[in-house]
Amino acid sequence: MPATPPVPSDVIRGTLELLVLKTLTLEPMHGWGISQRIQQVSSGVLEVNQGSLYPALQRLELKGWIGSDWRTTENNRRAKYYRLTAQGRRALGAETESWRRYVSMVDAILRTA
Amino acid sequence: MSMLNGIRLRLRSLLRRDVTEGDLNDEIRLHIELETDKNVKAGMPPGDARREAMRVFGGVEIAKEAHRDGRGTRWLDDLVADTRFAVRAMVRSPAISGAAIITLALGIGANTAIFSAIDAVILRPLPFTAPNRLVELWEENPDRGWNRAQIAPSNFFDWNDHVHAFDGTAAYADFAGSATLTGAGDPRLVGSARVTGGFFTVLGVAPEVGRSFTDDETWDNGTNVVMLSHRLWAEEFESRREIIGTTIELDGRRAEVVGVLPARFAFPGLDADVWHPTAYPKENRAKEWFRRAHFIRGFARLRDGVTAEQANAELQTVVRRLQSEYPATNTHMGAGITPLHEFLIGDTKRPLMILLGAVSLLLLIACANVGNLLLVQAAGREREVALRLALGAGRLRLVRQALTESVLLSGVGGAAGLALGWWGTRALVALRPPQLLKVHDVHMNWTVVAYVAGIATLSGLLFGIAPALWNSARAPSDALKKGGHGDLGGTRLRRWGNALVVSEVALALVLTLGAGLLVRSFMKLRSVNPGFDATGVLTLSVGLPAARYDTFPKVTAFYDELTRRARAMSGVESVGLVSQLPATGYSWSSDFSVAGRPGPAPISQVVHRAIDAGYTTAMRVPLIRGRIFNEADRDGSPMVVLINEALATKFFPGENPVGQRVTFDRVPDSASVWRTIVGVVGNERQGSIAEEAHAEFLAPYTQDKDGGLDLVVRTRDDPRAIMRPLRAIVGALDPKLAISHLRTMEEVRAESVARERFLTTLLLAFGGVGLTLAVVGVYGVMAQLVRGRIREMGIRTALGAPARSVQWIVVRHGMLLALGGVTVGVAAALFTTRALFSLLYQVDPVDLPTFAAVPLLLIAAAVAASWIPAWRASRVDPMEALRAD
Repeated sequence: MPATPPVPSDVIRGTLELLVLKTLTLEPMHGWGISQRIQQVSSGVLEVNQGSLYPALQRLELKGWIGSDWRTTENNRRAKYYRLTAQGRRALGAETESWRRYVSMVDAILRTA
Repeated sequence: MSMLNGIRLRLRSLLRRDVTEGDLNDEIRLHIELETDKNVKAGMPPGDARREAMRVFGGVEIAKEAHRDGRGTRWLDDLVADTRFAVRAMVRSPAISGAAIITLALGIGANTAIFSAIDAVILRPLPFTAPNRLVELWEENPDRGWNRAQIAPSNFFDWNDHVHAFDGTAAYADFAGSATLTGAGDPRLVGSARVTGGFFTVLGVAPEVGRSFTDDETWDNGTNVVMLSHRLWAEEFESRREIIGTTIELDGRRAEVVGVLPARFAFPGLDADVWHPTAYPKENRAKEWFRRAHFIRGFARLRDGVTAEQANAELQTVVRRLQSEYPATNTHMGAGITPLHEFLIGDTKRPLMILLGAVSLLLLIACANVGNLLLVQAAGREREVALRLALGAGRLRLVRQALTESVLLSGVGGAAGLALGWWGTRALVALRPPQLLKVHDVHMNWTVVAYVAGIATLSGLLFGIAPALWNSARAPSDALKKGGHGDLGGTRLRRWGNALVVSEVALALVLTLGAGLLVRSFMKLRSVNPGFDATGVLTLSVGLPAARYDTFPKVTAFYDELTRRARAMSGVESVGLVSQLPATGYSWSSDFSVAGRPGPAPISQVVHRAIDAGYTTAMRVPLIRGRIFNEADRDGSPMVVLINEALATKFFPGENPVGQRVTFDRVPDSASVWRTIVGVVGNERQGSIAEEAHAEFLAPYTQDKDGGLDLVVRTRDDPRAIMRPLRAIVGALDPKLAISHLRTMEEVRAESVARERFLTTLLLAFGGVGLTLAVVGVYGVMAQLVRGRIREMGIRTALGAPARSVQWIVVRHGMLLALGGVTVGVAAALFTTRALFSLLYQVDPVDLPTFAAVPLLLIAAAVAASWIPAWRASRVDPMEALRAD
């Protein structure tokens, strides 16, 4: 085992996947683009560990929620673009729903306690 | 869909590893570049921009690792890496790897050969249709001590007619006859068998060409037909299909070829090239002797849906009816059934299983030995392992990697063993152990290969587990502190090594004890006095074709002339004729009764042979009282007979048998032939060397006209020297005769114990290899011990300890290990050698001399093996030893 495990906890992992899916609803993007977009939208609050983005993308691809193909960027660089699949779109809905429930539940607990 | 997609991706990453890995690299590189560009645009100097990009990304390698894990092919990557590492490790220490591979190849090779035999004899089904529906039929009679005995033909045919659970029965004579094939090149003596008409049909064997026998050919219908083996057809008749319908000359008689058997057909124990139908005269069924004489073997196919128990129950009903219907012949005559395969191979199963046990022990010893080697090697790599642990390698990962190494080793050893076993299998078949491999089809096949792969992998795991666990269960700091030197063999390592050596010695002891018992038994067999003197005697068989030697005077004229000419040869001392050589079995047995004794004679089983006047002299069988035969005992002269000592003691206790009259019927009638006993001769062991002599009648062949005779020629010096002239004599008498079984009597005698010799030789070889391996193991551990304690030895020597006391430390250790192993081994052997019981001749499975000598031998060998390292320890230069670190 490596000395300092960088593996994100389940909550963060789930969140990251959710954010990636949400980001891809707009248009197909490459990895770096996705990381920039998340940072922008969250106004820098969510500092995504960029290295953990790629395993997350791989997991989503294995689940069939996103697809990928190699394209050329506007600056003529070869990049792997990820896009949301129909299945991914459905999953996003369900995941968003369960996330909201989760947040409101945690919130409710925090209020009462 | 998602699952399919997942599989597709995994497959892709598995098959196109480089592409996947390259994709990931490209992706990450692009990411870093874009991030760097962004930083540059924000005003950072390029170097800082890149560094910052890298920092924000996190660890590039960590991300890659996580990605690789995610692909789900991690285990394969690891396996490839482990194997690569294992190959490197193997190549790096060729001495250890070589020794391990050779050791394993020996163990696995022996297993391969023995398992091939077991596969052919026991595991593979008989080459018949639905062979598990075939059952052997037999008779038994407690009065006569018969068990699974031959059947009287009339009984057999009654079973066939009345037991409806049988879907067809067939019978065969279980002794193979011989016939001379003439007309196609040199006369050739071929094995012949007689079977009832349904034989091949019931077995479900279709002829390759022509037809099988028909049911009515069981009975004489005036034709003389024959079926040929594939071998004879190919060798003598160029596999011509037109042979069907033509006639060949067998024993001077024309026989019509009706069919040829397929090449794969074989009936265990019945190795014949020409097959005749029984063709019994029809009137036999009405005759009493056809129900009195037991000389055929039979089998049946069970009707569909009928169990063996049901068939047996029905058979018993018929048997009981025959008992009451024919009291004269069938009183207490029982019968039974046994699965055909079990019946045919029953007596070979135990020896083969014992051999398998022996080679399994051998393989275990080999494993212990290799385990020891690897342990030593692991000790040498202590530092490397410690480093890997410190760098964060998982312990499980280390165990797996060590096991990969040992399984790779056993894989190479297994491959070498397979090659060795292929050769061993051929050697095994070439030895043709009589009565042990009744099938000829011993060869390697996928079953054998799978078995070898299985035992090789198991061995790898077995001998790999000790070093693997030892490796992983350590605190890295210890090893690193020690610097990997100094106390090389830590206490724990030594404990593992000791345990391996103790078990190795114990296993080797069990193996050598078994071998020792068989050797003792074989020596006893060799020293048995068989009742004849085999040295200097040559023997041969001549088949006299009935067609040309159709009258008895022609036969006697031939034998008279043959013995006269043989006697005249230079170097020949005496010559005789006998219907069956001793130590080769007996052809027939009967009851008898003595004239003048009141009431019915007791049931007796006495065997019969026919001899000429010269036989007892030629074989040096002593005459005890009365006289032997002479030229006056001829056809037409008063009927005479000799008895052996066993018969005299058993049936004429305290009486002089000479002069008494006997007949070979239990209840004499007007047709009985009475013979006068003229002499008593010594006992010859008829059945085999290991079998006590049976009570026996010897009649002059001139008065007991039945079958062919063997010639025995006693020479003054080397019997082999007269082989060629003897052949010439027979050829001059009748060039159309085939000579067979030209061999010395010593060979006959040896052949009678060939099976025992074969088993003993094999087990002795296995025991020898096992012992050697164990001794090498002891040596290895002692050498390791000395290496680990070299500094201590040096200090002892420096402080003035005499060489002997330093040596004693090592030798004592070796002796203790051997003692431990011997104790465990003897305890185990007390139980296991019982398996040998039925194979031992006059030796107890717990034979004291063997149980004393073999452990002593092992301990002595262990002490000798410890002596070399001990001597080296005592010669250590103290200064060098102290500086060694």
